[in-house]
Amino acid sequence: MSQIDPENAAEQENRANDQSVSTTDGETVEETRPEWTEHDTDAETKLAVEGLDVYYNDDRALNNVSMDIPERSVTALIGPSGCGKSTFLRCLNRMNDRIRSATVDGTVELDGTDIYDGGVDLVELRKRVGMVFQSPNPFPKSIRDNVSYGPRKHGDIETGVLSRLTGRDGSEREAELVERSLKQAALWSEVRDRLSDNALGLSGGQQQRLCIARCLAVDPEVILMDEPASALDPIATSKIEDLIAELSEEYTVVIVTHSMQQAARVSDQTAVFLTGGELVEYDDTERIFENPESQRVADYISGKFG
Amino acid sequence: MSRATQNALVREDRGGYEAVAASAVGLSGVVFAVGLATLVDIVSITTPVGNGTLSVALGAALLGLGLGTSGLGLASRLGYVDASPQPSAGVVAATAFAGVWFVIGAFAAQEAGLGTPGWLAIGFVSGAAAFLLTALRREDVGSTLPAGSVAVLFGVALVTGFAGPGWERVLVGYNATLFGDTVIPVVTMVASLLTGWAAAKSYGGFGARGRNIGAYVLIYLIVLSILAVLVGLLAFVIIRGLPGLLNGVAVGGDQLLRWPFLTNGASLLAEVPGVFPALIGTVWLVIGAVLFAVPTGVGAAVFLSEFAEQGRFTGVVEVATNGLWSTPSIVFGLFGAAFLIPRFGNQKSLIAGMLTLGFMLLPLVLITSREAILAVPDEYRDASAALGVSKWETIRSVVLPAAIPGITTGIILGVGRIAGETAPILLTTGGGVLPGRSAAPNVLGGFQLSASPPFVTNPALLEATSALPYQLYALITAGLSGNIEDPQQFAWGLALTLLLVVLLFYAGGIATRYYFRKKLHQ
Repeated sequence: MSQIDPENAAEQENRANDQSVSTTDGETVEETRPEWTEHDTDAETKLAVEGLDVYYNDDRALNNVSMDIPERSVTALIGPSGCGKSTFLRCLNRMNDRIRSATVDGTVELDGTDIYDGGVDLVELRKRVGMVFQSPNPFPKSIRDNVSYGPRKHGDIETGVLSRLTGRDGSEREAELVERSLKQAALWSEVRDRLSDNALGLSGGQQQRLCIARCLAVDPEVILMDEPASALDPIATSKIEDLIAELSEEYTVVIVTHSMQQAARVSDQTAVFLTGGELVEYDDTERIFENPESQRVADYISGKFG
Repeated sequence: MSRATQNALVREDRGGYEAVAASAVGLSGVVFAVGLATLVDIVSITTPVGNGTLSVALGAALLGLGLGTSGLGLASRLGYVDASPQPSAGVVAATAFAGVWFVIGAFAAQEAGLGTPGWLAIGFVSGAAAFLLTALRREDVGSTLPAGSVAVLFGVALVTGFAGPGWERVLVGYNATLFGDTVIPVVTMVASLLTGWAAAKSYGGFGARGRNIGAYVLIYLIVLSILAVLVGLLAFVIIRGLPGLLNGVAVGGDQLLRWPFLTNGASLLAEVPGVFPALIGTVWLVIGAVLFAVPTGVGAAVFLSEFAEQGRFTGVVEVATNGLWSTPSIVFGLFGAAFLIPRFGNQKSLIAGMLTLGFMLLPLVLITSREAILAVPDEYRDASAALGVSKWETIRSVVLPAAIPGITTGIILGVGRIAGETAPILLTTGGGVLPGRSAAPNVLGGFQLSASPPFVTNPALLEATSALPYQLYALITAGLSGNIEDPQQFAWGLALTLLLVVLLFYAGGIATRYYFRKKLHQ
């Protein structure tokens, strides 16, 4: 956890004086200060977002968002509904390209390369930046086929008659990969005897872990999770949360969540988005929840707003 | 207007009333079924029952039903039973009764010899009276008395012999005559539907519960009659077709199974004339049409739903495909005759028929495949895209497999239509009326290599061929004569064969769909 530096401390003293401005109708609206979203850690920056604006037709979904996401850690994005946190997440692997009305402005650098550059290979990008969705969405295929789907489609594993004839049969590699991915996703012990069963027969929590395994099978560097536990019961949720903690040792995890408790439990740093697609504050999770700089964030976290 | 209120959660005991109402519903059902049976000639209305005929017995039953139903309504109105009727039976019921009573009034006036303005006026008066009685009186009277009096009236007419088997009326102004053996079943069914509905309402004590039960009984009776028509149609064809189809069937002997009707041609030499060439022709036509239409239709559906921008272009294509699907088959046939035949050897040929039927099948395959592809959840596409899988790979490995059950449904429906199609075959495929066994197309054995393009030729595809629906049509128009012993039996056997072939295609399609559904969900 980062130290409180003198500059920050001084600013805290000033907070009561200058953090709000009164509007004409008497409500107080707080200014957003750029320095609240600056967050430095010792870790390398995996994803550097700079001046990101997103519009859906004419509606602004993200307003000039800049943040650095450190590698091998869990970054939580919280905020009320419609504040743009899912939009932000979907910018990180260019899933917003799939929405015709969306226009994205700004830069997102993955290890120093701008992913919105014209020459970027979407296949390669999405192999490196995997995604897990809100509701579990396994394919209507067997558990094994779900996990090996990505590597198969990327040509990393070949199975079938032709590959056997040409001596490139990957059945063994496939079995290894399926086992490793399912173990990583803490699902192996529950499904090892029924890998050929249809994935839709699994429970919701198991399906979500299968989706995580499917994502891990293509060996990503970053895993984006869009409210991965919102459709699950508390027990399945706690399994997913444990899994996220484990994954952060090896992967960079960015997770959108509605539950502040969940953000507090699993994340190393937290970004708070508030209405209008604004990133209001981004800091160590502990600081955000115990001593936020912004009054609006404090209100949101204590449940007064949103 | 008084309104009965009901506050108790548990109704008072009205077991006797309910028993009467239930038996009235049951009797209505029986009378309706007998009416249906007489309408389709399963029983005759002149069948003796007791001292009279079935017609008189039906009349007596209707009389009893009418009196009973009216009694049920009156018992409720006079407060003998605990019911919860609403102030009015409603406009729908009132309109229905007005229609029935308009017809009754108008007809009675004509019987009495009134001219045009007269019967119209009387009809309107009796219709309006029924409307007002139903709409303005309390529900228990409003829904039972008009129904009960219809049944009483018909019952009296039948019992007194005013209307009987020999009854007939020439419709003034139309070139048509009504006969008793058609009219009596119809009026019996109408009256029993009305009393059945009214008695069911009284059984439920009117109000919301009564309406619920009334609607249930009405729908049940109508569905039963539709099913009865379907079963009757199948039974009709099967009973007449079986002797022809099974003619000479033998199990054992030198062959495991001998089925001459299906394996013989219709030559003079054949002991039992058969439909082999037409059967093979139909099977090949369907296979050819499916081979042509399914890849093109599914491909177009993939393009329209996955690649094309949803907008004016896809809208136009959609309208065009819907229009093609409803285009009459004779138009397709003409197109085949004018466009395809000159391009395939200038004579009627199997391949021209295949393509024409393929054109007919194409729009339905396109429409249903498109629906099926659009119904595949976007989550699958998102999940696949997030794994870095390209669009085409996603379509091939996720979208199409998930859409196969829907696509198969479209193929099943389309094949059902084209397998029995006569007009396009008549114009494009032709063939003899009574082809011999050698006229059967030998498509698989017909492929030949040639030195010049197109390098593969198949004379079997370029020859005129018979098909089951076409042969049936040709037999009927040829006056069922020719060199076969019993043309009538032959034609019915042919019809049954066609029915079974279509049903077999259906069964095959449904089995395929079941297989893929199971694969997707288990």
